[in-house]
Amino acid sequence: MKFKENWIAYLFLMPWILYFLVFLLYPFFLSFQNSFLDINVLNPENTRFVGLGNWLMVATDAKFWLSLFNVLFNQIIFVALSFVIALTAALMLNEVTFMASLFRTILFVPVITSITVAMIIFDFLAAPTGPIQSSMVGTGLLDQPVFWKFEQWLPMPVIAVFSSWKWFGVQMIIFLGGIASINKSLYEAAELDGASWWRKVTCITLPMIKPQIVFVLTINIINGLQMFVEVFMNFDLQGGPYNAALTPVLYLYQTGFEQMKMGQASTIGLLLALIIYTLTMMQLKLTSKGDNQ
Amino acid sequence: MIRIKKQHWLIYGSLILASIVVLYPFFFMIINSFKTGAEIMHTPNALPTDWSFRGYIEVFNSINLGRIFLNTIFIATSVTVLNCLFSSMVAFAIVKTNMPGREFWLKLILSSMMIPAILFTIPVYMMMYDWNWVNTYRVLIIPGSISAYNIFLLVQFMKQIDNAYLEAARIDGASEFRIFFKVVLPMLRPALATVGILTFMGAWNDFMGPLLYIRDDSMLTLQMALFKFQSDVPGGKLEQLWAMTTMIAVPVVFVFFFLQKNFIKAFTGVGVK
Repeated sequence: MKFKENWIAYLFLMPWILYFLVFLLYPFFLSFQNSFLDINVLNPENTRFVGLGNWLMVATDAKFWLSLFNVLFNQIIFVALSFVIALTAALMLNEVTFMASLFRTILFVPVITSITVAMIIFDFLAAPTGPIQSSMVGTGLLDQPVFWKFEQWLPMPVIAVFSSWKWFGVQMIIFLGGIASINKSLYEAAELDGASWWRKVTCITLPMIKPQIVFVLTINIINGLQMFVEVFMNFDLQGGPYNAALTPVLYLYQTGFEQMKMGQASTIGLLLALIIYTLTMMQLKLTSKGDNQ
Repeated sequence: MIRIKKQHWLIYGSLILASIVVLYPFFFMIINSFKTGAEIMHTPNALPTDWSFRGYIEVFNSINLGRIFLNTIFIATSVTVLNCLFSSMVAFAIVKTNMPGREFWLKLILSSMMIPAILFTIPVYMMMYDWNWVNTYRVLIIPGSISAYNIFLLVQFMKQIDNAYLEAARIDGASEFRIFFKVVLPMLRPALATVGILTFMGAWNDFMGPLLYIRDDSMLTLQMALFKFQSDVPGGKLEQLWAMTTMIAVPVVFVFFFLQKNFIKAFTGVGVK
């Protein structure tokens, strides 16, 4: 009887076991193996062992580190900007009841829009003749329209602004959930003590939604450092004339699928995954400091 | 009459302003889809002088949009149905059985979410190439037919189902399969709606999969067709590009407005805890 039950339970678990073996564990080993090979999937007979060659090549490759710098530069702006927007929106939505769910729905629309659609619209909006730049020139904020895609320092900040528009809704919803679960009596007590609105936000709301903030930071690191479609759609595979929009995943795509250097691309993937994993763990360590449990 | 507090006017003002910023790009998209190509080039920011449906009509001659819609619906539906089934089976094994090692499997599933997906792109591509799965529908369906995040969400929901229902069914002599399909799945319906929407949206918006694996124009998905259209004719057939973009974006927004509660639940599943 006992054995029979377990047997059935494993049958239910089977999809995961298969998925884990075929699409996670095996590719992981394959990736590791490839990183020591010079391999091209189109003519595998020319595969040869290169030892640490790929690792050395990637580790000393200025372009890889530039791509990492680019994406970090982008993320710093994105994380700060989207955090402020999302928190402000969540605090405002939490204050009001009338039509709050309508506004919440509207502010969430960019999240459900596909990145392809959003990037096409954005490309025209931010173009030198587009409405954003026209109105900036009209009001004197800009002297003349800027071809931002061909500049050295503009692509990453501009994309960070776009990503903030696209993704702040997710963070807003998560913060709203956190704020809603805070015990109201904390605010009432603070009010009796004459605490200002700002003080209530910094001393009650922010510490109480710390789990949500940590969660948001974690998904930002994991997703943000793997940015691809945003740059792939609007730049060449080099990320523009200064490689200013070259991200690690774009670089991996270029190495693996344009130059067909699968071994080197696997190495980039492994190294990037390692970097992301380390950053995630560091961030979790840092944010859990001061927690009692 | 609804009375609004004085200090709330400032908040409503800001919320309206934020809504305009959020919705303006869609407004821009829609007005441009009703212009002619020349007008899009020269006055991209103005309203159309003369509302034209040319883009909407001609785009159907340029590409087989119906087929592309069907492809995308087929792929996204298959992924969603399989993923809901398989992910809830695994959640059932973890939450509702006495299988040894349940904690271990759950930990494994949770920690697999921390591994960046990019690690698997190249090796999975090489596997698919070896298996001759490139340029098939199954390459976009099978790898997406189960996901750690969905299992995690369903585990949370499954925990809320009272074991008494399962016990009662067991006493009646129902098999575990019958219990899963006739007792647990119906009770999971709201959770499956949430998980299903998230999965459907992910498959519908998938870019990397079709980019790497689909070669035939007849097998394109919406996102890839849109991307190809944009990059094949830079600056050309603009009215068709805008019409196509609008036709792809607007239905999703409509569905979202109807099912917004489920969408929002899907995104907060992990956050609230």
